[in-house]
Amino acid sequence: MSEVFTIDFSYSTSHLIFPRIIIGLLILLGAILLITNFLKRLRDQSKVFKFKLFTDNYDKAKFYGSIVLLITYAVSLEQIGFFLSSVIFVTLLTLLYIGNLKRKSILISLVNSMSITFVFWYVFGQLFDITLP
Amino acid sequence: MQFFEILTPMTILLCSLGVFIGIVMGAIPGMTATMAIAIFLPITYALDMIESIGLLIGLYVGGISGGLVPAVLINIPGTPSSLTTTFDGYPMTQKGEGEKALKVGVTASVFGGFFSLAVLYFFAPMLSTFAIDFSSVEMFLIILFAMTIIASISKGSLLGGIFSGLLGILISLIGTFTINNETRLIPPGFESELIYGFTLLPVLIGLFAVGQLLEEAEKGMKASAHQKIKLQKGDTKSKFSFRLFKNQKVNVVRSSLLGTFIGMLPGVGGSAASITAYSQAKNFSKNPKELGKGSPEGVVASESANNGLIGGALVPMLSLGIPGDSTTAILIAAFLLQGIQVGPLFISSNPDLWSGMVFALIVANIAMFFMMFLTVKYFAKIVFIPKYLIFPIIIVACVIGSYAINNGIMFDVWTLLLFGFLGYIFPKLGIQIPSFLIGFILGAEAEKNFIDTLQGSGGDLSVFFTNGPVAIVLWILILGSIIFSVADYRKGKKEEATYAS
Repeated sequence: MSEVFTIDFSYSTSHLIFPRIIIGLLILLGAILLITNFLKRLRDQSKVFKFKLFTDNYDKAKFYGSIVLLITYAVSLEQIGFFLSSVIFVTLLTLLYIGNLKRKSILISLVNSMSITFVFWYVFGQLFDITLP
Repeated sequence: MQFFEILTPMTILLCSLGVFIGIVMGAIPGMTATMAIAIFLPITYALDMIESIGLLIGLYVGGISGGLVPAVLINIPGTPSSLTTTFDGYPMTQKGEGEKALKVGVTASVFGGFFSLAVLYFFAPMLSTFAIDFSSVEMFLIILFAMTIIASISKGSLLGGIFSGLLGILISLIGTFTINNETRLIPPGFESELIYGFTLLPVLIGLFAVGQLLEEAEKGMKASAHQKIKLQKGDTKSKFSFRLFKNQKVNVVRSSLLGTFIGMLPGVGGSAASITAYSQAKNFSKNPKELGKGSPEGVVASESANNGLIGGALVPMLSLGIPGDSTTAILIAAFLLQGIQVGPLFISSNPDLWSGMVFALIVANIAMFFMMFLTVKYFAKIVFIPKYLIFPIIIVACVIGSYAINNGIMFDVWTLLLFGFLGYIFPKLGIQIPSFLIGFILGAEAEKNFIDTLQGSGGDLSVFFTNGPVAIVLWILILGSIIFSVADYRKGKKEEATYAS
């Protein structure tokens, strides 16, 4: 009985014990979850399996637009620096969320992006001396 | 006086500022107290510890309290914990008693806040003196208990919750193991970036802020529909007076108490506290039929409970190092940033910080009360601040925070984006973010205690069951939380079945 409760313990491999236990438990639980889910569907034929990732009528432009802009922003930070990339990013993101290209919207997003970037640059970079990209 | 020695004018100012920003963010539906704290963490790099505590506590109190504004005015809870405030708050607004409802809510909030502060003040030091003698066995079991209780309380299945928690632990193990300095679980190609694993802060703000952004973008970033809100009718019945609370004494104390003690359970968030308090108010009410139709009683129960939660959630954090909810999980990160480990030794080895925290809570509650009570009319406007202006600001703040945390590492920005995407996708796959987060934060600690125990026992696992009475009590609690959850799940199923038939 006591052997069941004993783990071979050695200092040099101690970094692998816990991850192995966790991975083992994850596989076990994952399998149970999958099987119970599968059985439920077998029993209940009326519910056709349909996995829906997005909510109905999701806003494709805003969703994918946000992802593309976020990635571009991160890349551009290294290339063209904090100030310029932030102004461009915030302008485009605000415009994307307003959803039209009227002169008023463009003005709002430009003012929004310039003021935000300046305040962040001043407060973080100058006042608090925090490293900016 | 000690109060002013610890709390400088700067701290009081930062704390009040935190309350103000917290209220604004709490009042915008879709932004939470957790998010407010997450994006303000970077500013604390430049502040000293007490000042940052003041700011963060202010954000916490303000963020939780601000949630009642949209709940009352437009029937949308500003934070999850003010869900039950909509049940009676909105009907009151429809009757032309919006201002009265807001003031009732604010007053109840401040009661709840001070009640839970008192509990925190007396209970946390007691619990930590008790916990100082805990060995690695007990600490491991406490973490295990925290994991099972989050899983058992969370929506969805218990197994799903445990799975999410374990996944969080697994991710936290990536990198170097501190005891023997060996690396593990690092994906090939990232050996230098991930040598110390993922950085905590970008993971947190990614999960909460960026994930939320993507979710809102998917829904089209719609602002709350503008509607005319009548705050007050002319007659005296719809006016607020403190006499309203005369019949509510029992309700206030009961709800604050429930909020505080539910807050103490590790990982249990605000919505559980206010839902429990609301249903108890309904059970004990003299006119239960009035609740849900615009009775101040319901607003009182919900709001005193969700502010009671704050002090409660800080108890396990300060005495055991276990976060009481996702917001305190982020507070733990703030302490780590300043190089302070929270745990049983925290209060006795940092008496100044401990009293600073208590004082900050007092200041924050008072500031919250006056700011909200006197400016109720203007606060109603916040609800309609367009999201397209706010979310870009938040993203820039998140990026700066992630980049600056290790003094300019671009990989931390990528971590932010990666976990932002995961924070969006996880709930859709049934993985629960609170469980995942607590697992991620406590994973390394759980491993350390587990390995320490094994080292002491030579690999014998039975020591987890035979290490004295505290261990046994903890096992009983762990089993209890599992049994409770299974029973609760069955009950829910049965109710569902009776509804269906």
